[in-house]
Amino acid sequence: MTETDNQALSAAQERTLLRATLENMSQGVAMYDANHHLVTWNERFRVYLEMPDEFLGTDRTFSDYIRYLGERGEFGDADIEVELKRRLSVLDTSHSFERVRPDGMVLEVRRDPVPGGGFIAIYTDITERKQAELAIRKAKEDAESASKVKSAFLANMSHELRTPLNAIIGYSELLAEDAGDRGDTAGLADLEKIGAAGRHLLGLINEILDLSKIEAGKMEVYIEKVVLRTMLDDVKSLVAPLIEKNGNALVIDCPDDIGALRTDLTKLKQCLINLLSNAAKFTKTGTVTLRVSRRDDTDGTPHIAFAVQDSGIGMTEEQIGRLFQAFTQADSSTTRNFGGTGLGLTITKHFVAMLGGTINVTSTPGEGSTFTIDLPDRAGIAPHEDNVIDVDDGMRAASAITVLIVDDDDAVHDILSATLGREGYLLLHARDGAEALTIMRRTPPDVVTLDVQMPKVDGWSVLGIMKSEPELQNIPVVMLTIVDDRNLGFSLGASEFMSKPIDRNRLTALLRKLTSSANNATVLIVDDDADVRNVVKQTVEAAGMKSAEAENGRVALQWLEANTPPALILLDLMMPEMDGFEFLENIRKVERWTDIPTVVLTAKNLSDRERSFLAERTLLVLSKSGQPIGSLGAALSALARRGQAVKPNTKE
Amino acid sequence: MPVKILLVEDNEMNRDMLSRRLLRNGFEVVIAVDGQQAIAMASSENPAIILMDMSLPVIDGWEATRQVKANPATKAIPVIALTAHAMAEDEKKARDAGCDDFDTKPVDIARLVGKINALVGSSS
Repeated sequence: MTETDNQALSAAQERTLLRATLENMSQGVAMYDANHHLVTWNERFRVYLEMPDEFLGTDRTFSDYIRYLGERGEFGDADIEVELKRRLSVLDTSHSFERVRPDGMVLEVRRDPVPGGGFIAIYTDITERKQAELAIRKAKEDAESASKVKSAFLANMSHELRTPLNAIIGYSELLAEDAGDRGDTAGLADLEKIGAAGRHLLGLINEILDLSKIEAGKMEVYIEKVVLRTMLDDVKSLVAPLIEKNGNALVIDCPDDIGALRTDLTKLKQCLINLLSNAAKFTKTGTVTLRVSRRDDTDGTPHIAFAVQDSGIGMTEEQIGRLFQAFTQADSSTTRNFGGTGLGLTITKHFVAMLGGTINVTSTPGEGSTFTIDLPDRAGIAPHEDNVIDVDDGMRAASAITVLIVDDDDAVHDILSATLGREGYLLLHARDGAEALTIMRRTPPDVVTLDVQMPKVDGWSVLGIMKSEPELQNIPVVMLTIVDDRNLGFSLGASEFMSKPIDRNRLTALLRKLTSSANNATVLIVDDDADVRNVVKQTVEAAGMKSAEAENGRVALQWLEANTPPALILLDLMMPEMDGFEFLENIRKVERWTDIPTVVLTAKNLSDRERSFLAERTLLVLSKSGQPIGSLGAALSALARRGQAVKPNTKE
Repeated sequence: MPVKILLVEDNEMNRDMLSRRLLRNGFEVVIAVDGQQAIAMASSENPAIILMDMSLPVIDGWEATRQVKANPATKAIPVIALTAHAMAEDEKKARDAGCDDFDTKPVDIARLVGKINALVGSSS
């Protein structure tokens, strides 16, 4: 056998091997040469793409294939030539995307260039994986809604439990007084036990209610200026009986010039009372010290630390680890020996987090523990600044502005009534969408606050109906919703807004802020103005990043489909073909794109069209949690005035 | 002459308990069962002080307090808000509505009597 024969045979064997490999792959494969002619393919390619045999031949090109698919309707209504152009433009780089075939099969398409020209296309059937992902997402959503139902149930339940419990406690005290008057000491002792057990149960129910409110995101934060000395005196008198019970002494160590802190007074008080009563509970004939100190953060924010130190039994590392979990105390025997619900610290931790602070604990068994709460001054906290409409000084004169509050949650009605009613608004109340519409048609209000989530007819549907009725469509609407921190205030789904002309320094700063690893990250610039794209591109590249450009939303979407998600999108709002609003709506539908930070580039003054878009949707999303009601009142006033300007004849 | 208290409470058992304990402590007690009745009785009965439950039918306690405080004839009458649960927000809400003091149910009768005496003393 000659060397050449050997090689020839090897080549033949290799071909057989390659063919066998191709046919045994669990993916569809098609290979194209440098001229985009189809070179080889496997059976699975034919099956996945349902390619007729007569199509498959080496005289076919990639363009023929794409056009064939397009004509067969695989790309829906999309323009075949646009689809082709988009695919051709990325063939020199490895890329992948997902495509849903008309029969519902989800294909992951991956194309990689091969050495010497040409490329290989690999098709993976990911239908099952996609279905599993959907099932997981659904399960997660179900779990979240179950958690909401649970919280609502607990809140109602707590109320129902408290009413009879009040009677038990009240009548046991009444009888105890009678027993005391009669000198019936045995009866008195028993009645006091009933009362004490009732109060313990009541405390437990109240803490569960607090916790369920926290978990449901319904716990409000009221930031006010807290004069610390006054607050500490108050706390001292409240905990005095608890401190004295175990023969302890309370020492408050606080500089005279400690001053004030902007925070939530009642939550801070509750935290300190929790920590001090814990300290008193676990210390016998010892000392409980509350040490208060002020420091400035690196960025100049004042912080106040409250350290509660006891000389009690202390805890091990392991016990500390379990400390902040609901219903867990340092030791299961703790409840037996020391009482308590095991919820106080959990609630304290939540409150501290809501106030932007931290809580730490150090402890030595047998020597005592120190719990330290560190809270920042919340002076600069004005959430939703970008979305809250400017308010004139005259907003207090809100008299005779009618606000319709639509919410299925009584607590929201109570809170809004308390704050808005005081400011002179005339309030109308509706508990569901249907009732809201009835009231509106009878008495058109100046502003409507609309809960997004309501049973039967939800907030968005009410909004939709309002916008279709001439009598109602000009009434400004504030959508009230619980939104997570990341989306707080950015109702359009954008991360930031930037006005044109572009301030390059601010853009550079934004790039640094929004893209964690600056190097090699890609920034997608979407703007129909080539000059703007150019300026932005230079800035992006000067910051060490790559840029990609799209002249409108549709092109940007195509780019996104064909490429790995960019680190950031810079987006113009007004563009031909597909504008920024539509683009944002589209990317919010695709999960892998929802996390891309988007900076909206907009002219300093919103155009009429932008305004009407915003007015159409009235997307002022305020959060129920963490939203100071003051700014809601401000937004309502401003909206009411805007509404009155729109319909000048309705209010005389 | 005993100090006259207007007790506003819709729950029958709470009303019974509290009125008996107040009577035992030497007060005169008149009763309203909803916010609207409370506003009317604040004028007609001219009580020395009002103990106001907050979740009431017809007109709630916050609104009733606002109306009592908005009427020149009744605005000098001190109002103590009574709520079932000492939620962080409740005290603030009550004070915002114009209440002079705040206590939680079930009441600690000694503490409540202390608060009543402090307010009645200061207003007379």
